[in-house]
Order: sequence, then C-alpha cells, then structure tokens
Amino acid sequence: MKEKILERLATAVIDGDEDEAREGATGALQNQIDPLEAVEQGLSKGMQEVGRQFEVGDVFLPELLMAAGAFNSAMEILNPEIEAQKKNVTKLGTVLISTVKGDVHNIGKNIVTTVLDINGFRVVDIGIDNSPLVIIEEAQKANANIIALSSLMTTTMPAQREVIEVLREMNLREKFLVMVGGGPVTREWAEEIGADGHGKTAIHAVETAKRLMSQKS
Amino acid sequence: MPSLLDFMERATTGRIVSEEAFNMKALIPNIRKIVREYDIRYDGENPVSTDDGAADRLFEAALDFVARTGVYCDATNRVIHIDRAEVLEAVQNLPEGSYFGEGRDRGFYRPRQVEDENPPWIQVGSGVVASSEEIAMAQVEGYGSIPQARSVCVPALNQVQGMPAIGGSPLEVYASIASVQAARKALWRCGRAGLPIMNLIASATTAVSTLAGSFPTFGLRLSDAWLVDFLAEMKVNFETLNRLAFLTSIGGNVGSTALPILGGYAGGPAGTALVMTAYYLLGILLFKGAYHMTGPVHFRHGCSTTRDSLWVFSIVGRATSRHTRYPDLALAYAAAGPCTRMYFYEAAAANLACVPSGYGGVQTVIPAAAIVEDGITPMEGLFNAEVAYAAAGVQAEQANEWVNRLLEQYEAGTDDAPQGKRYQECYDVKTRKPSEDYVRLHDEVKEELAGMGIPFQF
Repeated sequence: MKEKILERLATAVIDGDEDEAREGATGALQNQIDPLEAVEQGLSKGMQEVGRQFEVGDVFLPELLMAAGAFNSAMEILNPEIEAQKKNVTKLGTVLISTVKGDVHNIGKNIVTTVLDINGFRVVDIGIDNSPLVIIEEAQKANANIIALSSLMTTTMPAQREVIEVLREMNLREKFLVMVGGGPVTREWAEEIGADGHGKTAIHAVETAKRLMSQKS
Repeated sequence: MPSLLDFMERATTGRIVSEEAFNMKALIPNIRKIVREYDIRYDGENPVSTDDGAADRLFEAALDFVARTGVYCDATNRVIHIDRAEVLEAVQNLPEGSYFGEGRDRGFYRPRQVEDENPPWIQVGSGVVASSEEIAMAQVEGYGSIPQARSVCVPALNQVQGMPAIGGSPLEVYASIASVQAARKALWRCGRAGLPIMNLIASATTAVSTLAGSFPTFGLRLSDAWLVDFLAEMKVNFETLNRLAFLTSIGGNVGSTALPILGGYAGGPAGTALVMTAYYLLGILLFKGAYHMTGPVHFRHGCSTTRDSLWVFSIVGRATSRHTRYPDLALAYAAAGPCTRMYFYEAAAANLACVPSGYGGVQTVIPAAAIVEDGITPMEGLFNAEVAYAAAGVQAEQANEWVNRLLEQYEAGTDDAPQGKRYQECYDVKTRKPSEDYVRLHDEVKEELAGMGIPFQF
C-alpha cells in the first residue's frame, strides 16, 4: 500500500495533475505514511524525473510548471502535518532571483526559478526590473545565500555589474554569492564583473548554484 | 478595424487576472489543447515542410488560439480580448506590401509565396552591440555595400563616453541618438543614403529612448521602420503600447516582432509554431505593422538553427504565406560566430528552410547567438544574400534534402559552437576589407555548397 501511494504521488507530479496529487497526499496521511517520506520518496522523485526529462529535452517549461503546481498542491496538504511534527523539508539553500533594472523579460528567469525549485532550492522570485537596492534589501529579508540576476539584453547587462558594485559599497559583498545569467551573459562577463558564477542554461544554473553552495560550506 | 485606442479600452476594462494565472489557466492549457485539436505535429525528419494540410491547420489553429487566449497587458493585469472576426477582417484588408527607404534605395517589400521564384527582401546586419561608433560605422558601411541589401539592421551602442548605457537612463537616450546618427552617416558614406534602417532603435530598451532617437534632427525618416515587440508569450506592456501610440501618431512604419521561445511557455516545436503564427495575426491587427520580424529561439541553445527550430520556421512560413499578405522577415540566430565553417552551414540551412517556405524576406543570420560584442561582419550579410537568392524558386522537397545534409554537418556541435571572431579580428577597420583567411573560408564553403547543387546566382 505504502509503495503504491508513494508511486501515485510521483506519477501525479510527472503528469502535472493537481487533483491527483492532492488525493495522493490525503491518502498518504490517511495511511499513516510519514509526510516527510511522502515528500522525499513520492513527490520529489516525480520532480526529479520531470527534471531529467527537461534536461534531455523530452519536456519543456509547461510540463515543469505543471509538475511544480502538482507538487505544491500536495504540499498544501502535507505541510501542516510536517510542521506539526516540527520537521522541515531539507533545502539546499535560498536563492533570491530577479531581472535587473531596465529588463522586463521574465521567461528565462521563470525557467531558472522552476528548475532551481525542483532541484531542492528555496527560491524567492521578486520579479522584474528591480533596482540594485531593492534586490539587496529583498535578499537580506529572505536571508538568501545566493542572488541570481537575469538579463536578456546586452543593453541591460551593465545593471548586473551595478548590483555587485552596490553590494561592495554597502559592505555586503561577502554576505551573498552572486550568479548571473540570461541570453547574452557569458562566463567571461561574469568574471569581468566579479560575479561568483554564471548559468548558461537553467540546468547549468542549478549546477552553478550547487557548486557555489558546496564551496561555501 | 479596432484602433489602438480601442485596444487601450480593452486593456483597462478587460478581465483582471494575475500573470501567473494567465500563464497557467489560459496560455499553457490553450496551447496544449489546440495543438491536439488541430493535430499539429513536429516532423523532425523534414525540417523543411512540404505539408500544405498541416500548414492550413496551423493557420486555423492560430486564429482559434488568439480568440480564445487574448493578449495579457502586464501594466493593467487585464486580458485584451481579441475577436476572431476582427482578425480575419484585418488579414483581408492587408495591403499588397510596404514601401521602405528613399530615392533609388526605396523598395517595395512584397510578400512571397511558397517556392516563389522572386528573390526575398534582403535585410543585412543586426543589432548586435558594437564597442564603438567607429566599429558600428565600419559594419554599416559594409552592409550598405552589398548590392542586394534592401534594408539594414544597425548595431546597438552600449556605452557613452566610456559609461555603460544603463537601461532607461539618460545614458541610454544618448546611446540611442548616437547609434542612429552613426548608422545614417555610414550609409551616406557608402553611397546608400536612401537605404532604410529597419531595427529602430536597437539601443533603446525604453519608449522614451525610442522617442528621443526618432527626433528628425538625428536623421531618421518615416520610411525607416521601428521594431515593437511582444513579451514572451502573448503579452504587452505600456512600453510597447507607448511606442505604438507614438508611431501610429507620426505615421511611422511599425515592424511587429516576436521571437517565441522554443521550450518556453509555448512548449515544444508544435506549440511554438502555433504561438509564432498567432503573433503574425496580432502584428496585423493590434500593432498594424508594415512588416513582421520573427523566428523561434531555442531555450537551451539560444539559437534558431536546430532541427526543431528550422521546422518551426518552415511550417509557419508556409502557413502564413498561404493565408496572409503580411511582409514577413525570417530572423535566425546561429550558434557559431563569424569566420567559422559552422556559421556558414547554419546560415545556409536557415535560408534554405525559410526562402522556399514563403518568407517575404530574410535577415542576416545573427552569429554567435548575438552575444559577442562586435561579433558580426558584412561577410555574413553577403553570404546570406548569396544563399537566399540561390534558394528562390527552389522546391521545398529539394531544400529539405539540402538542409538535412547541412544539419548532419553541424547539429551535433551546437552545444560547443565556436564563437568565432570579432569584426576587428577578421576585418581591417580602416580599409573595411575582410582578411584573406576569411575570404578563403567563404569561397571554400560556397564551392562546397555549390557542389551539393545549390544554384548560386552570384
């Protein structure tokens, strides 16, 4: 029974089926399955499979978003029980993500947000077109480990450098890891502006975030 | 036909919904449902489509999709409703084409048919950032020197007196003005003063910079064209609508543009083809464009010469050329950069996929996914013109065979594509001449392609 319920949760996530995910989560609690185990052995396994399929190009952003939707629907049911047991779902770290000032293109940022989320990061997405000061203040509020800055256009890339410079001016550069990404952003640019890493693609961004977190610890 | 003010009324009174809810409850489900309902299937074996039935279904599906989904205005968080009948009326009332440019460089941009024998409109250059006005002018002079060039795209400048042109700042205003002045001067110097600039204004991320650079003193004319873009996917904001309000008021040519992301909200190739076709309809109705610049961009590779991207180009070109008279321009990004053999293969494949599929025009395939400063030269423009002219009148079936052979040469290397050389590394900035190595490479590849049977005319 337990194996079947865990498999049902994983399948619901892979199919992006929110109703099925909610029913699976309810079934897990009714059958006395540890809610943390339901997350780690059920929902997360489904997310890992969707992530794998995304990596090899078998599924795209819609399937990722739907999987995340199903995951979150099940979590609405499991979370109160997890909190009641004073447990936590382990996260790899917290990433504050935003497009830089002047850049309103959010799709790349949204893809990275979803892929980081399904790979175990807590992601705080503050949207688009934010000034350096807003980004830094929000990162402090979120107690972020990493600030991720997205820029789709060559003309807005200088704003990535500006965030790093303002961090230095506020004596906060050492407090945050900074990674940059977006269509025109290269490793050379990241090095030039003093970022800690860059993400060429969403998958690469996850690898970079994991590497930065492991170097920090 | 509704005016921009009518659409503004809808943008301020339409259904209110968060962007996330629009994406998850309307955009994505509608794409998935309509792709299934109209049986739109990606055909990877045939990157150049010959399937009229699929093309016709795609056009009908796009009409349905636009009417069911509308356009999201992120400034008001409302959905701009679009009526199917008004789309059809706008399509029916399209003119036969559009005029651009002045004097002997003035041209009539005419839409083409599938396998049309007329050569496409050749737009040379790109908005890739130039590191200085000197480089920008050298590039544009080279573009204007290509006899087949009917219009140019000119570089963006990203700094002013050594300061980065921060988006939305006065520095961006200065950069926008400087880029326009430099381009116009360069066209005058190469004897093509009347050639239209069609990517206005590449340096301007904001409407205010677009307006500033458009002040007549700086050299722009109504016979040039301003690009106004959608946000990914099926969205507009006030920056977009402000540009439109200005351009429709002065009678400027609007180039509607949308580069849907393959693998983004639209999903795979079939959904991307659907959304890309929908943008034509919105360009005609909402933006009232004089031309439409379009092409998919692969979410992973940042280019549009992958097999699935070429299929999207092809099926959309076939669908829209069979059902509209909107002058369209295929814009592709190559993974490889200037002065590389791979770039030439990619550019040839893109032109062979697009020209026989009915695109009215083609732009120089942008090297190195547009990420290298100074990473474009006139040689790419010349090569693209050569292949595009050769592809006019070619049967799609024949083009498909050539494109498959070209894909064999480069598709495995897309992830590790060479970034190539910058302008100053393969051209002499003073004499504007390409290096001997680059000329030799160009000639070698052209000879190789001619050996495949590609009928070069010049």
